[in-house]
Amino acid sequence: MNKIKWTFITLVTLIVLAFFHYVLPQHDIARITSTEIIRTDFSGFNRLFYAQADSGATENPTRDIRLVNTVRDNGKIMVYRNEDTGWIWPPYFKFDSSNLHAEAADLISSRDAPRWVSITHYGWRNEFFSIYPNVVGVKEIAGPDVRIIPWFNIIFLTLLALVVVMLRKMWLQFRERSIDPMLEDMGDNLDAAGDRIGETKGRIGRWLDTWRKK
Amino acid sequence: MGFIRLGALGLIVMGIAYFLVSMYSRSVRREKLEDEWDENPANGDDKSARDAYIAQGMKDYEGSVRKKFIWLIFILPTVAVFALIYLNNFS
Repeated sequence: MNKIKWTFITLVTLIVLAFFHYVLPQHDIARITSTEIIRTDFSGFNRLFYAQADSGATENPTRDIRLVNTVRDNGKIMVYRNEDTGWIWPPYFKFDSSNLHAEAADLISSRDAPRWVSITHYGWRNEFFSIYPNVVGVKEIAGPDVRIIPWFNIIFLTLLALVVVMLRKMWLQFRERSIDPMLEDMGDNLDAAGDRIGETKGRIGRWLDTWRKK
Repeated sequence: MGFIRLGALGLIVMGIAYFLVSMYSRSVRREKLEDEWDENPANGDDKSARDAYIAQGMKDYEGSVRKKFIWLIFILPTVAVFALIYLNNFS
């Protein structure tokens, strides 16, 4: 039982962590090398890892998708997609993919004369699934060593912790004030019922006794 | 369409949160009033006086500024959405 419980808890924790790792914004320091557009089919199993058509457009089984090719500060390649998240999910309310694409194109630089950019994004890159993190914003920075403080995540996770504490307090209050008194009532009623049964038994028993031979 | 869906879903979620938090807040307030009375009962063991004290306290609470703060459950997420729209698209 304990093993099952802990497996379950670990699994849920991992899923929650993966979820937030996917959805919360992160900053990469990179150099944009090019931007491009590829036609993509969205009927595959990796549909989940893409957003929907631009917020003014209709959803189609295939559509063009904007990509931003970069080289990270550690020398590795990274490719991002650049899609509207629109009104739905994840709630970045990003409608400016085209503008962002123009900004990214403006920041293209070569290896010899690098312009370092902080790329705010969410999502994962996975070559086997053909999925890309989604760029939310690009900002030119002084150099690859600039330290970026994830203010949004700090505030968001603090608020989330507060909400969890609040929910726990609310549940405890509900249990103390509503469930426990109800259970006590039920317990009292059961006791009373038990006493009555005992009494009845006594009465029947006494009546039966009258038939017994003395 | 997305805007309407977000609005509808948001209203439902915020409505549920508002309902639960106001229930919690009321419950905490009632418990506090009960404890206050039990610590220092003004009329000894008079049950009706205790009930009246709690009823009066709850009536005061219903009109209090503290209760109005629960409306922030509707206001803050809405402000956050507009702030995100501005920050992610126009700055």
